[in-house]
Amino acid sequence: MSKLIMSDDLRRYLDLIPDLDLELLLEAYERPLPEAFRTNTLKLPEEEILQRLRDKGIEFRPIPWARYGYQAEGGVELGTTLEHMAGLIYLQGPVSMAPVEALDPKPGETVLDMCAAPGSKTTQIAQLMKGEGVLVANDISYERVKALSSNIQKIGVLNVVVTVMDGRRLPRYVKETFDKVLIDAPCSSLGIISKDWGVAKSWSYRVVERLSRLQAQLLRAGFETLKPGGTLIYSTCTLTVEENEMVVDKLLKERSDAVIKPINLPGLKHRHGVTEWNNLRFDPSLKHTLRIMPYDNWAEGFYIARIVKEG
Amino acid sequence: MRPLTSGERRILENRLMRQYGVEEAFKDLILVMAGQKRIRACTREAYEFSKKLRKVQQLGIYVAKLRGEDVVLSIEGSQLLGDKIKVNVIDLDEDEAIEWMKASPIRIKGEPTGKYVVARHGKIYLGSGIVSRDGKIYPQVAKWRRIPEL
Repeated sequence: MSKLIMSDDLRRYLDLIPDLDLELLLEAYERPLPEAFRTNTLKLPEEEILQRLRDKGIEFRPIPWARYGYQAEGGVELGTTLEHMAGLIYLQGPVSMAPVEALDPKPGETVLDMCAAPGSKTTQIAQLMKGEGVLVANDISYERVKALSSNIQKIGVLNVVVTVMDGRRLPRYVKETFDKVLIDAPCSSLGIISKDWGVAKSWSYRVVERLSRLQAQLLRAGFETLKPGGTLIYSTCTLTVEENEMVVDKLLKERSDAVIKPINLPGLKHRHGVTEWNNLRFDPSLKHTLRIMPYDNWAEGFYIARIVKEG
Repeated sequence: MRPLTSGERRILENRLMRQYGVEEAFKDLILVMAGQKRIRACTREAYEFSKKLRKVQQLGIYVAKLRGEDVVLSIEGSQLLGDKIKVNVIDLDEDEAIEWMKASPIRIKGEPTGKYVVARHGKIYLGSGIVSRDGKIYPQVAKWRRIPEL
């Protein structure tokens, strides 16, 4: 049986993560992520899709914090079903559905998904917009945009514009334009190691430092594209403070019109964002951000901050 | 990517009428030509907004491909048209629909009149297939959409 191997950097770093139970974290890393899905109401009414699954003997239960989200039970393989290939369901981790629920996009709004590939959250946003308004799905990588395009196609999103550019350049063209912005930033992935143990083996602190700078620049750019009164969600699937609270704190220090707002996602177990760490003090409002450990819901680990542009 | 001219749009509509009996195809949508005679559909609002942006890679979804004098509908293109498709539509049971999504040929039931048919499984439309002289229909399902053979 194979064993989870961690880099020396990661071993050292895990001791620094606030409020962490190392034993539980390692247990979560060794468990497979739960099989979860969203029904695609852009194609068929939800109840018809669910009935098709029930008719096949597939059992599932609703994910309390995600509209249209369900967790499959009994170890079913949904990836090869007709429903999946025809785009009636979309496979997505249960906690990965939380950032878009916190964003709460509505029909008729103008929404930007800045780091959109492979498109799980893009298609979730599109579903909540019900085909009304405009969704811009951007990613920096042509290669990753292929997967994004495939998923947009499968879900049948008509009100989407896909762009390929460095998100940091977007304010040049669309300053103060969007009602809602999602920045699900590239990160060091400590929340999803159970998906790929290779991440633990190659994890390095240098990468975290580089990502933290990039994330701060992306967040600044995303905030610039937001209309006054608009809402931005910053999320990562990692647990380091440098990629989470520290990034958001930097924006709060730079922009007096950036305000943290609480997030209410029923049933999602989480802890509060940290406001003091490693001799550093952050904005006290960061306690309203969500820090989700992989063992909180026995699923992915995430960080989610909801920021409103005042004005 | 460029929007279809009114002439091109008329040609597409005529072909969809002739092949599938569709009236008023993709009426409220903007259709754009996206290389290799592929047609994509998006909302007017998304199309107008895209003019503000740079490095636009795609708009909306791929709905159809022009092939010679015919139109091949994608899975989503046929789903969008739905019950507007009046002729050359075949009904599949669950097992046949799975075979279709594996791109395996389906034996023809009855007498299809066209060169192409659209497959339907309940309310799910599964795109166009080519009717062959060997008595089979060959589904035009993109490789990445196929259910993998075990």
